[in-house]
Amino acid sequence: MFGYVRPVRGELKCKDFDLYRATYCGLCRAMRRRCGLLAPLLLNYDFTFLALLLAPEEGSFTPCLGRCHANPLLRQPMCQDSQALDLAAEESVILAWWKLRDSVADEGFFKGLPARLLSLLLRGAYRRAAESRPEFDRAVREQLERLSGLERDKCPSLDRPADAFAQLLQAAAPATGEAGRDRPVRLLLYHLGRWIYLLDARDDLERDKASGAYNPLVYRYGPEGDDEALALTLDQSLALMRSAYAMLEPGCRGPVLENVLYLGLPLVQRAVFEGSWDRIKKQKIWRTDR
Amino acid sequence: MKDPYSVLGVSQDASDEEVKKAYRELARKYHPDNYQNNPLADLAEEKMKEINEAYDQITKQRKAGGGYQGYQQPSGGYQQAYQGGYQSYSSAGSNPTYIRVRNLINGGDIQTAERLLSEVSQRDGEWYFLTGSIAYRKGWLDEAAQNYARAVQMEPNNMEYRQAYAMSQQGGRAYQPYGFAGGGIDACDCCTTMLCLNMCCGGGRC
Repeated sequence: MFGYVRPVRGELKCKDFDLYRATYCGLCRAMRRRCGLLAPLLLNYDFTFLALLLAPEEGSFTPCLGRCHANPLLRQPMCQDSQALDLAAEESVILAWWKLRDSVADEGFFKGLPARLLSLLLRGAYRRAAESRPEFDRAVREQLERLSGLERDKCPSLDRPADAFAQLLQAAAPATGEAGRDRPVRLLLYHLGRWIYLLDARDDLERDKASGAYNPLVYRYGPEGDDEALALTLDQSLALMRSAYAMLEPGCRGPVLENVLYLGLPLVQRAVFEGSWDRIKKQKIWRTDR
Repeated sequence: MKDPYSVLGVSQDASDEEVKKAYRELARKYHPDNYQNNPLADLAEEKMKEINEAYDQITKQRKAGGGYQGYQQPSGGYQQAYQGGYQSYSSAGSNPTYIRVRNLINGGDIQTAERLLSEVSQRDGEWYFLTGSIAYRKGWLDEAAQNYARAVQMEPNNMEYRQAYAMSQQGGRAYQPYGFAGGGIDACDCCTTMLCLNMCCGGGRC
């Protein structure tokens, strides 16, 4: 997806890194199992965070060994199958699919060709995911429609288009009926969605200026944007995410989640502002030269 | 009633010092300053009550057991602080609609508050202030700040509006766990830190 939501590796303890990695691998496996062989193409860090956040509280975690999808000769420790992984897997496919459809609709025939091909390949995966999560499917479609409406109207507000994406992400956590948990999770996801949308807008600012595409920052702050004002409102969303997180009892997943919320997100934010994000985002969190 | 030790996250045989430390840390976490105007303020207040009760219970038990000397009550400050400290819409204006809107916001019924406010034709400072408050509760932080600014512009002497505006110009408050507080990673160079992502943390496949 976007890849903004990731931990800072150097600040993770080894056991927490192992947990993160096992969740990532477990998510890949859940995608393959639930949505077919091509679905792991859409594996991403953002939904790994979601899987970590929505997993029930546990004191410790016991991985199992599973075959790596990318390299079947390798057996990797993975998180055991769980509802949280299945949910993150399917929702990740649904969101990626609708984003693809969006870019097919936005681009002309030739420029939209890669997205068209990819969406053709992933149609089966999407169908399986949407069948299993109809509410999330509907929420994504509705909010993305709302978003493109606001973009067409060149909405001069930051909060309104961000609200559409924030509500989309908020819908990723189905209610468990436990208010003490549901409310903080929903608030956290709302502001995570808001933060992602606005940061993505900042990341696209130069490109959109060149192409003349809609960018909320241009309509709110003028053509040059206003990094100081944007950073302020992003920091406020970060603070609200953390205050919501403090209400949860994440068990053994706490250190990874805290790493993302307190270190990863601010670092990514700064990298986007400084313009070094394009270079950094391609880096893998793990070594690729195994 | 929950076991007071599990509320504070310490074992039964923790020393008095450990209990106090755990209590202080939790009180810092749920402190009303971190939840001012926050949609979760009521939950934080509940948590604060829970840990205060747990701490009081433990200290009482230990005092009765006789094994505890030199007991002090460090909770006083926090207990005072959270009395009403989470709610920020206590003072009321003169317009009856505004009073209702304030009550609705306090009760968490943001939609009705918004509808009611949109029916008011007069756009004075309080109208902008309440519009800002509603925006804030919805998570529309930028529009909240804009509306607070309008409110202050129209009534520069109103302390309530000025306070809200000042808060909207700060980065927001939340609990920082130890190890993440202050400096830390911010002090490092951003790029080098991210490049460190590729360093192996030792051995095996990790």
